[in-house]
Amino acid sequence: MTKRSSNSGTTRRRVLATAAALPAFAAPAIAQNALKGTKLTILASNWYVPECNAQLDQLAAEIGRDTGMEVRIERFAGDELTTKTAAVIGSGRGADLAVGVEFDTYVYASKLTDVTDLANEIGKTYGGWLDSGKAASVVGGRFKSLCIGQAPAAWNYRTDQFAAVGLNKFPDTFDDLLKAAKLLHAKGTPIGMTLGHASGDGRSTNYPVLWAFGGKEFENDGKTVSIDSPGTLKAVEWYAEVYKYFIPGTTAWLDPDNNQAFLAGKVSATVNVNTIYLASRNAAATDPARKFMIENMEHGLWPRGPAGRFANYNINVWLPFASSPNKAGQLHFLREWYSRKFLLKWTKTGQSYFIPTFAGFDNEDVWPDDPKLKIFRELNKLNRLPGYSGPPTPIAAEAVNKYILVDMFAKACTGQLKPAEAVKWAAKEYEQIAKKRRA
Amino acid sequence: MSASLRAATSVPPERALWRRRLTDWADNERVLGYLLVGPVVLLLIGLVAYPFFVAVGYALSDRTLADEGEFIGLENFYNLFENQIYRQTLGNTLIFTAGSVTMRLVFGVGLALILNEAFRFRRLVRSAVLLPWIVPTVLGTMAWLWMFNPNFSVINWVLVHSGLMAQGPNWLTDPDLALFSVTLVNAWRGTPFMAITVLAGLQSIPSELYDSSAIDGASKFQRFRHITLPLVMPVLLTALVLSIIWTFSDFGIVYGLTKGGPMNATHVLATLSYQAGLASGNIGEGAAISLTMLPILFVLILWQLRRIRRMNIA
Repeated sequence: MTKRSSNSGTTRRRVLATAAALPAFAAPAIAQNALKGTKLTILASNWYVPECNAQLDQLAAEIGRDTGMEVRIERFAGDELTTKTAAVIGSGRGADLAVGVEFDTYVYASKLTDVTDLANEIGKTYGGWLDSGKAASVVGGRFKSLCIGQAPAAWNYRTDQFAAVGLNKFPDTFDDLLKAAKLLHAKGTPIGMTLGHASGDGRSTNYPVLWAFGGKEFENDGKTVSIDSPGTLKAVEWYAEVYKYFIPGTTAWLDPDNNQAFLAGKVSATVNVNTIYLASRNAAATDPARKFMIENMEHGLWPRGPAGRFANYNINVWLPFASSPNKAGQLHFLREWYSRKFLLKWTKTGQSYFIPTFAGFDNEDVWPDDPKLKIFRELNKLNRLPGYSGPPTPIAAEAVNKYILVDMFAKACTGQLKPAEAVKWAAKEYEQIAKKRRA
Repeated sequence: MSASLRAATSVPPERALWRRRLTDWADNERVLGYLLVGPVVLLLIGLVAYPFFVAVGYALSDRTLADEGEFIGLENFYNLFENQIYRQTLGNTLIFTAGSVTMRLVFGVGLALILNEAFRFRRLVRSAVLLPWIVPTVLGTMAWLWMFNPNFSVINWVLVHSGLMAQGPNWLTDPDLALFSVTLVNAWRGTPFMAITVLAGLQSIPSELYDSSAIDGASKFQRFRHITLPLVMPVLLTALVLSIIWTFSDFGIVYGLTKGGPMNATHVLATLSYQAGLASGNIGEGAAISLTMLPILFVLILWQLRRIRRMNIA
């Protein structure tokens, strides 16, 4: 039997449905009343900055207190979260919201709630969504997810080791980076970039090289494969050359390996988010080695290539499951998450670990005070999504999940294939994915 | 039973008739057989047959996680055999399985023979041997990941610092060595099962056979060749069949160590299926990859089971 609300004479279900359907700005008062006794299950990952996780928990508790809705956070490691999300999408039950990556938006679009009204409302509050945020959430002109933020990956480098070979700043071109790699290798302090099946670093390390040399996976239509181009070949040739001066083992690197190598002083430079620095800074008070590390490290932009300067970062989004029986709860949670009271604090706490993609954030007090993290403000504007210069698509997502780009570079670097052969190999793989998805 | 007692405990005639009919029916061996087997068959239909036919249905469709998809016949399978990564993965899986099962067999039988001997702390050693089998796969894999780490390998540290090598092997970086490394870890995990199973078989061999053959002058090798091996063979083959199935469909070790890298050198069918079906959302393709394990496993297992049956008859 459907429970009736106390004095309205209407069913609770009808109230919830009405709240969900109403324009976003009108919903809060109705939702607050209607949420009592409902449940909201959120699937979340473990962000590397523990305080960010704690603030999510706190927000859930506060919403529970204010509305009487039971908000439950279920946490999973990265790959487990992927599996759990897939299970909810497949079965239509198990959770109401999840933290996902941008690919999830366009792979699962038909199974996600349309949150365009709310997205527009939030966009207005913060001066509009950045292109990367929109690209991560919009499918067919509608917001099917809401971008939580992007995690800018910078070049982390050891200033003391660079100075030892006569370099006072991070190289600004790929030619200069190659020269630097040679010098550093000769000095016994090589650099390293991830060439293994690492779901995060594998892409953030390799897309910028492809794009900087003018290579791209698809034409602007997002369907026509264009990886086999002179630009891609130049990118692969550069990679194969610089790989000679890498620390051995980067083709087996998974996500934690570059962090560990840098923290252990095995590499003088690698590509990573701010977590190497944050981990060292947190430990610096008690650990002299970490103190030395933070005093002798800096962050640098990706070098500029013939086609420009690019970057690729992991993006997290809120996935509102269309199967959720608690649409009003979904919207209420999202509205609270994007409230100025919560979001500005959460962003500042992360010290630019995940940066929400809003144009107006430039004028907000959300940026790290630490001068060594200042560069992340600039990095926030460089992000491009897989599939660039076309739109992000399930084809591009599948290519990332199958590590085609990473393996193309790795095959050339290790000599398994010549650069031109590696490009042809990748083109064939891309064509097969595109053909299947087009059919 | 006295007549008065029988009258006191008698039941209405209709109920008695039904009870007798039920008893007669259950006494019928054919009916009782079906009754006893029924629950198992229902379980098999629910837990094995139904998922299997659903998987077949998925494999014949272009279903994704977000879309029901349409029937496309064998197109998924055709696309797979056209795909270089799939062909490489199939080869890897065969090498991985053959390598791991061979290692399990050699080390497992060797270990069982040692554990069957009498020595001090035998019970303790027998328990300790089971550790790789008992510890959760993820935990064991994490330990090996650390030992094979390109930058911090403890094995390489020992090799280099003992002067045996100038630079340690690239356990997970070199494509061939990476496949060997994941195979080795799988064998490490599976060897205790093989050893304990064979040990159970060894302990069921009557000691009189060894005593009388020793009196007849049989050497240790002859006793192993003509008594131990034939008598332990049915147990060994059963363990072998199970090892093949488990290794062929293994996921955790490969995924934990390499995620199929470098350059797909360690991808096995289970990890590729996960990558296609769950990570990329192509349920149809993922199911097709999984189902290609079936004919290979089916032939292998049928062959093994026939051998076991023949041995049992003999």
